[in-house]
Amino acid sequence: MISCKEATDFISKKEEGKLTIMQRYALWRHLLICTMCRLFNLQNKTIVKNASTLRETDASLTREEKDGIIQTLNQ
Amino acid sequence: MSTIDTTALVNDYSDLLYRFALPRVNDKDLAKDLVQDTFVSALKNIDSYKAEASLKNWLMTILKNKIIDHYRKAATRLTDRLATENDSDSFFEGDGHWSKPAYPKDWAIPYGSRIEQKEFYSVFELCMKKLKEIQHAVFSMKYLDDIDSDEICKQLNITASNYWVLIHRAKTQLRSCLEKNWFTK
Repeated sequence: MISCKEATDFISKKEEGKLTIMQRYALWRHLLICTMCRLFNLQNKTIVKNASTLRETDASLTREEKDGIIQTLNQ
Repeated sequence: MSTIDTTALVNDYSDLLYRFALPRVNDKDLAKDLVQDTFVSALKNIDSYKAEASLKNWLMTILKNKIIDHYRKAATRLTDRLATENDSDSFFEGDGHWSKPAYPKDWAIPYGSRIEQKEFYSVFELCMKKLKEIQHAVFSMKYLDDIDSDEICKQLNITASNYWVLIHRAKTQLRSCLEKNWFTK
């Protein structure tokens, strides 16, 4: 029986198809009986899904910061 | 190069570059420095700029390389540390079971769907900030930029086993932080 630590590690590896058939089976068996790792599995999906939206931001540099850069470039 | 209008260059492209850099390094000052370094390199190498590429893409390529360089430095600092750091982490007991304070709680949401609230992303960013630089680097490369693990290992010159340790720690830490600061708040 694999441990919770291994199971959660396998969950990330599974995303990339990096598990052997035996490892997939071991993960499946673990998830069948372990509520916490089942939760982790679902929460991991939520994290992965929402991480991609982090690449967008509407932040911008202030006028002073831009002027600072311009000054550095003109030196 | 006196023909380059640096003011226009910065006004036109600095925000675009900054918006790319910021979520990937998660530090305002560092992101700003990377943008400035990008312009410095661009002006220094303006002779190698080929007019058929768009200026925007050329600047973005320079910036991406700067970000990777930054990640690489974090990776170099890490490699000696990971080897000595014995595999202790606070989320699991020695036998690999969840440690009691780290038991995942039910978030009571439709799992796997997009969360639309803007505040959620501030919390997510805050939690990302708590990651170690190198954990942040691998997480960003993998989940913001969709690079696969083999390529990340190659670019950062880390072993596959180091990579999986880093991703695992980044995720368990993010999960716990999001749970505390958003889902069960």
